[in-house]
Amino acid sequence: MRYYCYFPGCSSSEGTAVAYGLSTQAIASALDMGLIELEDWNCCGSTPYSLTNELESVSVATRNLALAEKTGLDLVTPCSSCYTTLNRANSYLRQYPELKGKVDEILASVGLDYRGGVRVRHLFEVIFNDIGLKFIKSKVVNRLGGLRVAAYYGCQLVRPEPGFDNPHNPQSLDRLIASLGAEPVPFPLKDHCCGGSLIIPELDLALGLIHQLLESAASNGAQCIVTVCPLCQTNLDAYQDMVNSRFRTRYNLPVLFFTQLLGVALGIEPKDLALDKGIISTEMSLAPFIMVAKPTTETSRRV
Amino acid sequence: MGMKAYFMIKIKATDGLTDAITELEAMPEVEAVEPVSGEYDLVARVDAPIRVVLVANKILAKEWVEGLHILKIEPAEPNPFLDEVCSMPGGESVRWCIQCGMCSGSCPNVAQMDYSPRKTIAMIRAGRRYDVLISNSMWVCASCYLCTVRCPRGVKPTELMHSLECLAVRHNLTNGRTPTMYRAFIDSVKSNGRVHELGLMSRFYLKTNPLAALKMLPVGLQLLLHGRMSLKPRKIKGTGQLKAIVEKARTLGGG
Repeated sequence: MRYYCYFPGCSSSEGTAVAYGLSTQAIASALDMGLIELEDWNCCGSTPYSLTNELESVSVATRNLALAEKTGLDLVTPCSSCYTTLNRANSYLRQYPELKGKVDEILASVGLDYRGGVRVRHLFEVIFNDIGLKFIKSKVVNRLGGLRVAAYYGCQLVRPEPGFDNPHNPQSLDRLIASLGAEPVPFPLKDHCCGGSLIIPELDLALGLIHQLLESAASNGAQCIVTVCPLCQTNLDAYQDMVNSRFRTRYNLPVLFFTQLLGVALGIEPKDLALDKGIISTEMSLAPFIMVAKPTTETSRRV
Repeated sequence: MGMKAYFMIKIKATDGLTDAITELEAMPEVEAVEPVSGEYDLVARVDAPIRVVLVANKILAKEWVEGLHILKIEPAEPNPFLDEVCSMPGGESVRWCIQCGMCSGSCPNVAQMDYSPRKTIAMIRAGRRYDVLISNSMWVCASCYLCTVRCPRGVKPTELMHSLECLAVRHNLTNGRTPTMYRAFIDSVKSNGRVHELGLMSRFYLKTNPLAALKMLPVGLQLLLHGRMSLKPRKIKGTGQLKAIVEKARTLGGG
């Protein structure tokens, strides 16, 4: 069993991406991962917090890093925005000594200190690198043969830091999908933006971006889209009807978290994976696999 | 601050050209001298700390000078806006930009921006503080970082946009609906320690256009029906600690 300090982030803990949090918990034990939730974590600040000054936004994010440092574990988050924001705080503290001095002073005033020792990681990267496709393959009880999936990375998993995958044409999620027996379809917009939180203030702009993404996935024959980001899932799923009425299209593409697809392949109950929380029903594309899964689920549970 | 000026200088005897150049170069006010052909013999760029005419008279007082024409005067002020941007973490990179336009070509939202990222950088370097800060450019940046990974010079336009957001707020020049949404987000974090999405949305629509909320009703309802909208915010235990962090950050002054 590998242990990690777990940072669910606001959306995945009980908000619009609650299915992400639930399915993460469900697959963790099946993959021998121990996710220990960070005690009393606060919102990382995300992009909106950059409205204030750098000092304030970095300090708010660093409170989490200071709390996580006490555990001595890697800090793992399923949210791409938390991942980028916490990493950004880390690299700013390293890069700007003057900023670090002030942040240290602020943390000290509330009895915290941060030495810069926390490694912030994305849940997908952890599963891809630490758990590995080989191990996952050995755990698959329910091969998703014939399911055509568009692997949607979004922006902040592979950018801005030169990370574990190519920032322009990432492949890791495609490889994970293939290891489950499903077929990753060509998806040229796989790393393009869904509009993120601009969906609230700049609805038209975001709908245009979502439309392009759905168009790209659908025209390449995808039966569903798989994402690694809470915001991407909400934008593509909850706003799909709005895109359809705005652009006179008829997309009906379920948008799953990678943890949900992984869970289906591992034979975990759909209820535990919160598949019913998708607004575009996943039933049509996933039903054949879930039916097959049922008998095997019992045996895999006992083991 | 002083002014910069360009003087065209005619000298009496052309064979004294080299001596004239040496003598001009020795003057503290003269930054550069070049010989030219035509009506005048030399062009000099000078930095006048008090008055351009004082420097001109000083040169005219030399016995070998026959005539002097002030070609151009321009403010030599340093660019306070550029300095301000460069002083922010992530902002210093604007100096490295070569204006290739890779950022603008990569940006998914450039069509909605008043000025493209490339142009924004050019305007910062031209000191156009008001135009840059009142624009919507940084507020439609979705932080997708495509520009950042593609820039051949290592400029970080996304971080620059964040810096411009801070500056626009600092100078009270915010524009559009995005800052209102961001403020609602920050309020939510400050009072609960975490973002409460329903609270954030309602605060945003109340402050901008409550009628627009009607259009969003179907989406909100679907999210609610699927158990994806928590009605009550959850407070963390450390809200007091978080408030203390924010207040301390404000007193230490990041802007």
